[in-house]
Amino acid sequence: MLDPVQANLERYLDLLGTRQKLVASNIANASTPGYRTRDLDFHFEFMAQAEGGQPNIIEPEGLAGRNDGNNVSMDREARLLAENTMRFNFVSNLMRGQLKMIRSAIQEGGR
Amino acid sequence: MDAIRPILDRIQLPDLAGKTKPSEQEGGFGGILKQAIAQVAGQQQEAETSMNSFLRGESEEVHKVALDVQRAELSMEMFLQMRNKVVQAYQEVMRMQL
Amino acid sequence: MNLFDTLSVSASGMSAQRQRATALVENLANAETTRTPEGGPYRRKDVVFQSESVVSPFSGIFRNEIDATFSQEPTVGVAVSEVVEDQREPDRRYQPGHPDADAKGYVAFPRVNPAEDMVDLMGASRNYAANVSAMAAIKDMINRSIDLVRG
Repeated sequence: MLDPVQANLERYLDLLGTRQKLVASNIANASTPGYRTRDLDFHFEFMAQAEGGQPNIIEPEGLAGRNDGNNVSMDREARLLAENTMRFNFVSNLMRGQLKMIRSAIQEGGR
Repeated sequence: MDAIRPILDRIQLPDLAGKTKPSEQEGGFGGILKQAIAQVAGQQQEAETSMNSFLRGESEEVHKVALDVQRAELSMEMFLQMRNKVVQAYQEVMRMQL
Repeated sequence: MNLFDTLSVSASGMSAQRQRATALVENLANAETTRTPEGGPYRRKDVVFQSESVVSPFSGIFRNEIDATFSQEPTVGVAVSEVVEDQREPDRRYQPGHPDADAKGYVAFPRVNPAEDMVDLMGASRNYAANVSAMAAIKDMINRSIDLVRG
């Protein structure tokens, strides 16, 4: 019953969830000596269509490190936190709309 | 049409096309429904294209996606209502004693 | 995808920052303490952070065989691995009239720099707030996923 549109939406939501986990880890470890910021290449992972596997976790470039080796940028993480949340909200609404359309077709068809 | 195949399969369409006279076919009940379906299919296709474009990161036009999806949903709603009315009207006509 | 683990991550961040703040507040309060139960002046405390994998208590039961390597595991929290006491020699100041002055008139004071610790405390407080935001955002995502069922 899962058509390609819904499969895409679901995969997007999955990836977004994983990305948000990484952001939360980065924020929690903002003061941990030696900790490097972690992220995933969203566009690449989405287009790669990997089924079920864990996406590759990478170290983003261009972040300045402090003396103890920690390179977490609070601004970047805060921005990503907000952006991921908004994207998640939007796409989950789209998903809800898809489900609603199918449901109403089912119900109307019963008459 | 693939996008709405699963949806359309669940909508029971009475077989009207075979019951009207050939000369009235395009203007009769069957014709109206066929037109409506075509429009719904068009909107669905448009919505799907917008959505895919957003998911792939090709376009960040959130408002366009939202509007296309809403239009598709509305078309579907309208179509379903129209379908119900048409079926009702058809049944009434069939019931008329001639 | 398990978003509930992420709540543990943010919780660990909050807890770690709170412990850091506690140590700093203790330092500030005892900046001038010359007498402690252990003898000698107060010794400044520092917390050491360390990354550590967090698994939420509920999912742990289902997870025993699945062993993701650390570098690929998204849920990395933080923990305070130890609280270190300053082992340096205390600060000796010349105050002959002080009750704790030794034979030569010097008093041993803690090596606490209040300005530095105040700034650190503000940092801890901001980090704590950031972790709270992260937790709120994750909670929101979980709720939205739950909403999909509502239709």
